[in-house]
Amino acid sequence: MTDDLPLRAVAQPIYECLRCAFCFDLSWLGAANLCPAYAYGAFESYGARGRIAIARALLEGELEYDESVAQRIFACTECRACAEHCFKYIDTVRIFAAMRRDLAACGLIPPALAAVTDGLAETHNLYGKPHEKRLSWLKDKSRVDHPARMAFFVGCTPAYVRRTLARDTYAVLAASGLDFTVLSDEWCCGHPFMAAGQQERAAEVMRHNVEALKALGVERVVFECPGCMRTFREDVPEVLGEPLPFEVAHVTEELARQVEAGRLRFDVFQAGAVVTYHDPCTLGRGLGIYDAPRTIINAIPGMRLAEMPRHGRDAYCCGAGSFVRYDYPDFTDQTGHERLREAESTGAQYLLTACPACVTQFQYVRGQINSPLQVMDLITLANRLARWR
Amino acid sequence: MSELLARLQSICGPEHVSDVLADRLCYRRDCGPTPGGVPDIVVRPESTAEVVEIVKLANEVRKPIFLWGRATTFVDFGVQEGCTVMALDLMNRILKIDLENQIVTAETGAIWHAVDSELNKLGWEMAVPGGGGMFSCTVGGTVAYNAVPHGITEYGVTGEHVVALEVVLPDGTVIHTGSAANTNAPLPIERGANGPDLTGLFIGSCGTLGVITEVTLRIHRIPECERFLFYAFDRLDDAVDAASAIQSQQAATFLIGLFGGPKPDGVEGEAFLHAIIRDTTVEAERRVRAVQVCCETFQGRPQDPGPTRRYWTEHMYSWLRNTPASAYYGGRPYYCPEVAGFMPTQALKEAIPLLHKYVAENEDFARVGMRVKGFDVYFSPNAAFLWVDTLYPEMDSEAWQVGLGVRAEIAEMLFSRWMSPGGIVAGIAPYIMPRLGTTYALLKTLKAALDPNNVLNPGVLGLGGDND
Repeated sequence: MTDDLPLRAVAQPIYECLRCAFCFDLSWLGAANLCPAYAYGAFESYGARGRIAIARALLEGELEYDESVAQRIFACTECRACAEHCFKYIDTVRIFAAMRRDLAACGLIPPALAAVTDGLAETHNLYGKPHEKRLSWLKDKSRVDHPARMAFFVGCTPAYVRRTLARDTYAVLAASGLDFTVLSDEWCCGHPFMAAGQQERAAEVMRHNVEALKALGVERVVFECPGCMRTFREDVPEVLGEPLPFEVAHVTEELARQVEAGRLRFDVFQAGAVVTYHDPCTLGRGLGIYDAPRTIINAIPGMRLAEMPRHGRDAYCCGAGSFVRYDYPDFTDQTGHERLREAESTGAQYLLTACPACVTQFQYVRGQINSPLQVMDLITLANRLARWR
Repeated sequence: MSELLARLQSICGPEHVSDVLADRLCYRRDCGPTPGGVPDIVVRPESTAEVVEIVKLANEVRKPIFLWGRATTFVDFGVQEGCTVMALDLMNRILKIDLENQIVTAETGAIWHAVDSELNKLGWEMAVPGGGGMFSCTVGGTVAYNAVPHGITEYGVTGEHVVALEVVLPDGTVIHTGSAANTNAPLPIERGANGPDLTGLFIGSCGTLGVITEVTLRIHRIPECERFLFYAFDRLDDAVDAASAIQSQQAATFLIGLFGGPKPDGVEGEAFLHAIIRDTTVEAERRVRAVQVCCETFQGRPQDPGPTRRYWTEHMYSWLRNTPASAYYGGRPYYCPEVAGFMPTQALKEAIPLLHKYVAENEDFARVGMRVKGFDVYFSPNAAFLWVDTLYPEMDSEAWQVGLGVRAEIAEMLFSRWMSPGGIVAGIAPYIMPRLGTTYALLKTLKAALDPNNVLNPGVLGLGGDND
């Protein structure tokens, strides 16, 4: 292993690992999984403690990067549950990100993810769709590239796959009376490149988006996709080596503020409806946003929130994180099924969440197991019921 | 593919056996200081029947097996290069919660805290909380190690609450202990039944004499209330005398002494006692008063018991020193060559100053960046369980060597005068087993009789392996 590989830069946290195994499960909730990768791969090498042991063996020359290591690092949703519960407060995901970069440098990116990122470099979106169709969800183009202090960064999944969600987010922001803009030449945020360990490619798209937003005088960017927001807030400054020139916020934070200010109320949902809320890993553990979605839910009349046993910082991943479906579909399915069953156990009729990837995942796996749960994005529901003052 | 790998796959299924290096590297080391050997194969049985087959196969091919629960011991488990590691994590079911007979039966790989959490939903709990230092430990591992649990002052060690075991002997024979041994009425309700205490033979045996596959433990109702006290003392001797008095009054459920390492944040003094009391409301008040009298008789000054409460409720040692865990544990790539054991409470008056002197006079400590994490004591009903925890920079090979040397010297200092260790496994065995004389000889005889091919955890406890 050469000295300039990124893993060397995170040697200290690797050696901080106590091997306490707190990263395996949520024992205070009973026999509950914490790490979906460990639940899937079953050998410790798929859990954080094991991956750190692998990292240490790599540093000490006992092991070389190969496909077995690649599988154990890439078969991870980066849900951050291990980091959240680490006895030594180790930023485990940072270690695994360094390993992804090393693996990419060794040509060991899993094939499907590699193909997706190759396409992404061409089309600037995750789905290989024509770039010029990125704003096809938006009829009224009056705000596009309109200079404003606030921007709505749409993201690939709302722009191409969950267009209703893009429209709903746009609608609630517009109804809130905020002046905002939308980029005509928005590119992918770079999250897929980061997940693949391709930091140089990520830097290019990050630079493009930051420059485009700066050119419009944007001081604040609002996101619906937590993955995009976390990429901007955490990865962009690190990759570009400079502070982000604007603030970032999630749309649930905007709406919660409007609720608390008394400007936003909601029509009655179905009387007596029981809902449960899935904390998206990136919104919750990644960005620390747990309360805002609940503020919105609790403001909707006729709706009762029943929390899952694993919620908040203990929330279990939906299985979609870090694009694992491309190469490990059985892992994604298994994790999604477990989470959906947990949601069903609350007695809820509706599963709400606030992430386009989570919604897509739950919509997909509910069909696999014939779940009676209705899956809805919180923003879509909020837009449908909103009464602005 | 090796023949052994193929045969293990035929027993447990290919998905539960691995010879991939990236997997094997993860089954070599506990929380202790040494790396351990890399096994050739990792196998994960799902049932007692599979354990039997694996053990029989190990005898046939004369390949040693090392048992793996959660590997959260701190003293070096001793996995040997080229062995087979049998990870028991798939055997993790809670088999029966029996409130009528006040027992719970779980498979060996069930997580102690997870079992406790299921009981808590019913208003009950394990008869000893915590299951040792790490709440991520397994039921079987905790019993095999006979861990010193939280609440030892009232409840005693983990092993005292084991009612019955299912054990796969090294030749593949399955036995049940206590009342569960009666094949016509295999009811695990009483340990002291059906002859000698075979349950006790396996408690603390660290997997050298058999594979514990099922454990039945006592449970009790969650006490009505919990009270917390925290006292500071200017003199060690006063704190020790106060602890002795509290022990004789049976006043505390859990009494912890801090006699070295960082002092609790914001508290003046040289020695400190945390007391946790769990009982009915009326009885807890009497016991609180008893602890207060014991401490204040010996010049103890009461402190805000918030840190004591947080320690107990959050399971974070850092709160014993009134420090959030992030400040206490974070950012330190240190390892801890721990020495710990039981000694008379009054002997602390000699042992603790000796340890402080040893640290002060050892020039290597400062040179390699050593820290004293703590000379902390969990008081048992009648004695003291002293943890000598020193920390060394994990990434410094010289410090690593110094740390192991210090472990040997501290073990020599304490084991030659007062101390008998609790958990021994492999790391501490060289320092204590030769001192056990005819008892060690008997253990060797038992090991040879039960495991003539040395297939189970050879070398652990100084039994089998290169020791014979």
